[in-house]
Amino acid sequence: MIRATRFAPWLSALLVTAGLWQLGGGGWLLVKAELAQYLISDAWQRQLASGESHKPWPWADTVPVAQLKLAGEKPLAVLQGTTGQALAFGPGLMTGSGEPGNLIEPRTTVIAAHRDTHFSSLGTLQPGADVHLQDKGGRWHVYRVRGARVVNSETERLPVTDAPGLLLVTCYPFDAVTAGGPLRYLVYADYVGANELVEL
Amino acid sequence: MNRPFFHPPRIQRELVILPHDEYYRRRYRKNRGGSWLLLLVTAIAVLVAALGARAQAAESTVESFERVGMDESGSGDLLFKSSEPGRYIPAIHLGTEVDIRVRGLVAEVTLEQQFRNSSNDWQEAVYVLPLPENAAVKGMEIVIGERRIVGEVREREQARKVYKAAREAGKRAALLEQQRPNLFTSRVANIAPGEAISVEVRYLQTLRFDSGQFSLRLPSTLTPRYIPGSPIASSQTVPLNAHGWSLPSDQVPDADQVTPVMMPADELVSQEGSHQMKISVDLGMGLPLADIYSPYHEVNFHREDNHQYQVSLKQGAVSMDRDFVLSWRPQTSAMPSAALFAEQSAMASESSAQYMQLLLLPPQGNLSARKLPREVVYVVDTSGSMGGNSIRQAKESLLLALSRLTAVDRFNIIEFNSNHRSFFPRPVAATPDNISRARGWVESLQANGGTEMAPALKEALSQQLDQQAGELVRQVVFITDGSVGNERALFEIIRQRLGETRLFTVGIGSAPNSFFMTKAAQYGRGSFVQIGDLAEVQSKMGALFQKLESPLVTDLEVQWPQGVKVESYPKRLPDLYRGEPVRLLARVDGDALGKPQSGELVISGRLAGKRFTRSLSLAQLTVEASGKGIGSLWAREKISALRDKQRERGPVNDPEAVDPLRENILELALAYQLLSPYTSFVAVEKTPVRPQSEPLRSSPVPNAVAKGQVMQSFTYPSTATGVYGQLILAAILLALGGLLRAVGRAPATLKGFLARPRLVRKWIAGVERTVRRWLRSVVPDMRRRRSHRQPGMPL
Repeated sequence: MIRATRFAPWLSALLVTAGLWQLGGGGWLLVKAELAQYLISDAWQRQLASGESHKPWPWADTVPVAQLKLAGEKPLAVLQGTTGQALAFGPGLMTGSGEPGNLIEPRTTVIAAHRDTHFSSLGTLQPGADVHLQDKGGRWHVYRVRGARVVNSETERLPVTDAPGLLLVTCYPFDAVTAGGPLRYLVYADYVGANELVEL
Repeated sequence: MNRPFFHPPRIQRELVILPHDEYYRRRYRKNRGGSWLLLLVTAIAVLVAALGARAQAAESTVESFERVGMDESGSGDLLFKSSEPGRYIPAIHLGTEVDIRVRGLVAEVTLEQQFRNSSNDWQEAVYVLPLPENAAVKGMEIVIGERRIVGEVREREQARKVYKAAREAGKRAALLEQQRPNLFTSRVANIAPGEAISVEVRYLQTLRFDSGQFSLRLPSTLTPRYIPGSPIASSQTVPLNAHGWSLPSDQVPDADQVTPVMMPADELVSQEGSHQMKISVDLGMGLPLADIYSPYHEVNFHREDNHQYQVSLKQGAVSMDRDFVLSWRPQTSAMPSAALFAEQSAMASESSAQYMQLLLLPPQGNLSARKLPREVVYVVDTSGSMGGNSIRQAKESLLLALSRLTAVDRFNIIEFNSNHRSFFPRPVAATPDNISRARGWVESLQANGGTEMAPALKEALSQQLDQQAGELVRQVVFITDGSVGNERALFEIIRQRLGETRLFTVGIGSAPNSFFMTKAAQYGRGSFVQIGDLAEVQSKMGALFQKLESPLVTDLEVQWPQGVKVESYPKRLPDLYRGEPVRLLARVDGDALGKPQSGELVISGRLAGKRFTRSLSLAQLTVEASGKGIGSLWAREKISALRDKQRERGPVNDPEAVDPLRENILELALAYQLLSPYTSFVAVEKTPVRPQSEPLRSSPVPNAVAKGQVMQSFTYPSTATGVYGQLILAAILLALGGLLRAVGRAPATLKGFLARPRLVRKWIAGVERTVRRWLRSVVPDMRRRRSHRQPGMPL
């Protein structure tokens, strides 16, 4: 018993440190995801103005390729690629999926993001809701949500078609404690048309 | 209402023995020990429960979730479709039967694949068919029951048009196209619901011979290729849906053709036994054999007359998830030092032409020859496709290679996936210290990411530039599964940057890309081994080390008799490593073989500084009427040589201009009825079977994930940071820490509180009163009810 008393403060300090460490790590992820969006949006705006690719920060390994606006949400700048590095900062446009706004060779556009940062509200998106996507030329495209479903990524493949739809992918379940599960939440939105102006 | 029952018994103050301080101190201490335990247990329980609840929630919600038919969103042109909820079930089942006949130095293979439509729609089956990299495909037929529809060779685009027209018209049709020398696309259109249609593919293959052992390899699946570059539009002129998971990229324009859907083998086999393969081999070389074995399958064999052997699989059928390899060794006494076969041309237009195939063993050098100091750069593939058993085999091979280095050697290691990393900036001396550091690094390697092979290759070939190396023998050992789509570009890098270096490839895995292995070694003027199993690492790497360390046979030359018109391949004989034979395929015009005046064929070379010559009599050669198909193999070899030439020349600048090499290949392939990059086999039935009212669906036939490999989810990215888990963990840790601290400080306050027992009792009494009041309002009073009921009761 005496030993326990002596070690209690130490253990307590250790636990608190570990807790703070975890809190800091988790907080940093959230802060990074939030702050990076400002830089990326800025790069996207400059890109739209100049027509050239701009890196959001000098050592970034990805560039913004589109801007996504879910119904009732702030617009999000979409990055090229769905690697872990890209997704930490914003939603990623899957390499090989349809380029936003490319109607000559239509193909489903696939955008993925973390369920606990940028796509945390994906579950609340209702069928019939509008999703707006701005392409490199600055044109806004409107998509209407058809529905959602949960798939097992180990046994199923992405339903990429030759229709110009939009597929939003995130992890499922939304509030799972651990990362790396096989389930994915898919939201499919049909292409409605191009729209020059969107109220942000 | 007064209910004395609930009142605490009154005890006179004098009778109460109050505990003194010492009692509280002890008691409190004891409690604290208990609370410690309680705290920990509760925390763990909460954590476990939370995680468990999560897992359960995850499982249970999937089934009840509303499914939206996304499959209908496209026009049936889905890259991937899920016909059944939650699961991908292939519409077409595949069964394969292989019949191999070995005669002379040639294996004649008949591969019959049955496509069975298990859906309720008319189907088109699209299957990516892997074949050996040196296969000369010379026949394709559709088999429907007893009927056979013979396929013919057409120019590729033309064949596509014919097939597409037949498909639209509702006729049964099949198309076989070459995508890579070892990768083909097989299509069968208009399979009725429940019907089975077979496609029979016939090809010839030269046997491999190395270190006294013949072998042949039959791939049954492939390792998913990595496609570098950025996506572009498909360049097909007659568009046919390829069902590939990858889009064409600027570096791999036909990426959609070489990236089939993959499925785990056991899942496929559970679908009514799809993807099973039967193999029977008829070994008739005419030599007594000492040893027949198959490293990855169990085989039975029995001997027949005349040194004929029948080999079959022990289990009858096996799943198509790994290459089938059969090796055999002739008895040492019966081992000829040269084998020469000739046959008359089967074509009427060139009746005087003869074809000849030669295999000759050069003298074996002394193993104890002086070893030259070497400078070796090991390049190891750590891409995602190497995951599972492959990376273990690669590491094991690399560690073995490191242990083989001596103090005079120099070495370096480069690993690559999406990026490449060099362990030392430049090759260093193989001191025990350097080797042990490198070993530690090798052990820590992990497989993930892409396969950006080109930069790693360039790095490896540029590391050995310093000229002061002197007498060093420069070698690059490339350990990979070769699962890339841009083979041609890589060969070009090797060809241009090789210099004095020699490149060796070590093929890893159950289904490596043999085309890449052999061709890279050919351009690298090296040799290759293939390791399919961890148990093979020792023996196969041992064989490679022998090659690396033994002197070469160089300056090989062939001298034909005077006045004979000959076209032989390979044009320039490559240097030979220990155990490798001289091989030659030749076409001789003017009936020059097998006549008394034919003369002799002289082959000379140099081994460890000594010249040697071998002469073979062409006069005593028996020229067979026709049959073994040496002519087809010769044409296949010539096409391969022309393709190399085309690769070295680069693309034709003017898109309008006719590529003369393409025309050559096309002409050759049409004349010899061979499949080539520019010719395809197409077979069409005369009468339509599918009513025009019925739609036709196109379905991919998946390939099995190779044994020991991890199926990669090419499609879904991982989309969670796990930040919730982290935050919950943080909360638990902080709470625990805080509680501990509170408990640590507790004695003073608690003691103060407990020292005033009256206060405590008062407080407890207050609580009790509240509870009583609440209970009274909630619990019905039985006595009262009885009194109410009494009047109504009959007495």
